[in-house]
Amino acid sequence: MSKAFGIVNFAGNHISVDGLQEFRPVGAFSFLGRYRVIDFPISNMSNSGIDNIQVYIRRKPRSLTEHLGTGRHYNINSKRGKLHILYTESNMVSDLYNTDIAAYIENLDVIQRVQFPYVVIAPSYMVYTQDYSNLLQTHIDSGADITLMYHSVDTAKEEFLNCYTLDINKQKGVDAIPLNRGNAKNKNIFMDTYVMKKELFLDLVNKAHKMSGMYSLVDIVDEMCHELDIRAVAHRGYFAAISDFNSYYKANMSLIDLKNATNLFVNDWPIYTRTNDSCPTQYFDGSSVKSSVISNGCLIEGSVENSVIGRGCVIKEGAVVKNCVISANVTIGKGVHAENLVVDKHARLIRGKRIIASPEKPGYIRRGDTL
Amino acid sequence: MKQNNMLAMILAGGRGTRLHELTKKVAKPAVSYGGKYRIIDFPLSNCANSGIDVVGVLTQYESVLLNSYVAAGRRWGLDAKDSGVYVLPPREKADANLDVYRGTADAISQNIDFIDTYSPEYLLILSGDHIYKMNYAKMLAYHKENNADATIAVIEVPMKEASRFGIMNTDETTGRIVEFEEKPEKPKSNLASMGIYIFNWKLLRKLLMADMKDPDSSHDFGKDIIPTLLNDGKSLYAYKYKGYWKDVGTIDSLWEANMDLLDKNNELDLNDPTWKIYTEDVVSLPQYVGPDAVIDRAFITQGCVIDGTVKNSVLFTDSKVAADAKVIDSVLMPGAVVEEGAVVQRALVADGIRIGKNAVVGSADSENIELVAKRVKGEE
Repeated sequence: MSKAFGIVNFAGNHISVDGLQEFRPVGAFSFLGRYRVIDFPISNMSNSGIDNIQVYIRRKPRSLTEHLGTGRHYNINSKRGKLHILYTESNMVSDLYNTDIAAYIENLDVIQRVQFPYVVIAPSYMVYTQDYSNLLQTHIDSGADITLMYHSVDTAKEEFLNCYTLDINKQKGVDAIPLNRGNAKNKNIFMDTYVMKKELFLDLVNKAHKMSGMYSLVDIVDEMCHELDIRAVAHRGYFAAISDFNSYYKANMSLIDLKNATNLFVNDWPIYTRTNDSCPTQYFDGSSVKSSVISNGCLIEGSVENSVIGRGCVIKEGAVVKNCVISANVTIGKGVHAENLVVDKHARLIRGKRIIASPEKPGYIRRGDTL
Repeated sequence: MKQNNMLAMILAGGRGTRLHELTKKVAKPAVSYGGKYRIIDFPLSNCANSGIDVVGVLTQYESVLLNSYVAAGRRWGLDAKDSGVYVLPPREKADANLDVYRGTADAISQNIDFIDTYSPEYLLILSGDHIYKMNYAKMLAYHKENNADATIAVIEVPMKEASRFGIMNTDETTGRIVEFEEKPEKPKSNLASMGIYIFNWKLLRKLLMADMKDPDSSHDFGKDIIPTLLNDGKSLYAYKYKGYWKDVGTIDSLWEANMDLLDKNNELDLNDPTWKIYTEDVVSLPQYVGPDAVIDRAFITQGCVIDGTVKNSVLFTDSKVAADAKVIDSVLMPGAVVEEGAVVQRALVADGIRIGKNAVVGSADSENIELVAKRVKGEE
């Protein structure tokens, strides 16, 4: 059992995913067909022996609470462990005030009651695998006050534009946590992942709350860079931040390649999700499927190429699905050609025969729409 | 129990010897079917979907895996208060020695104490190795409507095959059973017993108590209990079932039952959201289909990786078909791997078996389906 409890944090104001986010928080986004984004941080914690997990929800809790349920499917010990869903319930005058700090303040007594000396905080809008027990041990051994995780990228000019970055000095200490402004190729993207003592965490939350009503945890940690010993630990393996619409599309597409996917889905590190009891997928005569990730419960008669298909989708005869990310229970009608799209749940593309967006700017089909 | 006062007992002790290596280590009800299921998922899911909440599973042969599998009643939603799946292997009791189940009826007799704790009005007897979807609540309604002492589910089989089954001869207007013939040479009807019975528990209990002590009895429902009821002039009714039903006794019929799933609008319809079949939840990835894959008429599930050609085949959880490999008219059981260039045709590849590089198993014109239960070495 871990010495830490876990906090799965929500996406702050700097994250905005057009379309999808109107219906649910990023953590509840469908990912690679059968998963939700939040399955990754929770599975990471569960696999690391952390079985006391608090999930904070900022708004639109329905789909996320439904998906998380009691948390049993995350293999958390059902007696000693707990998956705690916590909201910010107060009616904020403005979203600007609806920060993670506000959520922690509101649930302070819950955090205080937890009997673990350390806390691991991870975001619900990033996809990666990481053994937090290693990270926690590194943190304890180093004697640092706070340990932050980052991922080095060389695409920071075009990608990760809404993410924070770490300025790291030669001693692996963190000097500052600025936003990525896209001014350099190489950046250390901050993975919004923290390890620290629970007491320090509570201090920081109280301090932030007093300093500014709009502060979030990253702001106060940034502020404390010169007062506290804050160190950075690099992450290796697959990493994606769902920080805008394009990054959502790209993250899904990047995992169609099984070699890439094996950097995320590593051995003995299961990613849990809620079962839907779908039956296997049926491929009919005349179907053609290539370079794709297919979930269970689909009926495929048409052709699918370079796409991610969610559970229970129907691809009718003569339909062509190319470079698409399709959520659960979508129908692509007879002879419909869909290309470069993100299709949200329950949408039916049946009348328009050619629904094609440009590869640089993939299109979004709203939840439940009939086209 | 509250819902309909009916308790279900599933007979799952059968060995299924004609399935050869597939049942060497597991009982027949635990054999995999349909990509992601085990056969016993069908009666268990049917119970859950029919509003039956207490199910006893009578196990005997190679029951370790089966026992732990069915004990997780949550998988089928059988985990509410006053609900549950009870694993019932033969056990030693205070007043009786440990004895194996001597027959289907004896398996129930030895668990009278268990059934009594629920004192149900009706007892539903099911077989753990049949593939079908049935609403037992409808059968119970029919049983009550007729004020029957026992109701037996029957299915129409082709007349020429009727001599392989237990045949119910009925009064055509009322459905009342007038005669039961086990594997008759000259069948008078084509209504075959499905091995699904509803009994009034009080009556059956009395019969079982007597049957236990009868030295001439083979302690079997078909051979002993049903004939006794008929001789006693009790009212037995045949409940006609229409739909998919398969008893997979052999490798060929197991293969065939899997192939049935490839038909469009197949009768079993596992995709029906109103009657889902529940099974063990696995953490495998979604299906990965590679750039050069060819998939034509297939039933494929989670964890499969396809880089080669799959035609007219059913692929179970975590099975893999490498580049340039061909799987045609075949069934790959969970975790089976077909390596590069290998060809699998009219074969059933058992759990976790590897077919090596460029190896060839089965053939297009074989009479029987080849069971591959040992690793096939390929070219180095």
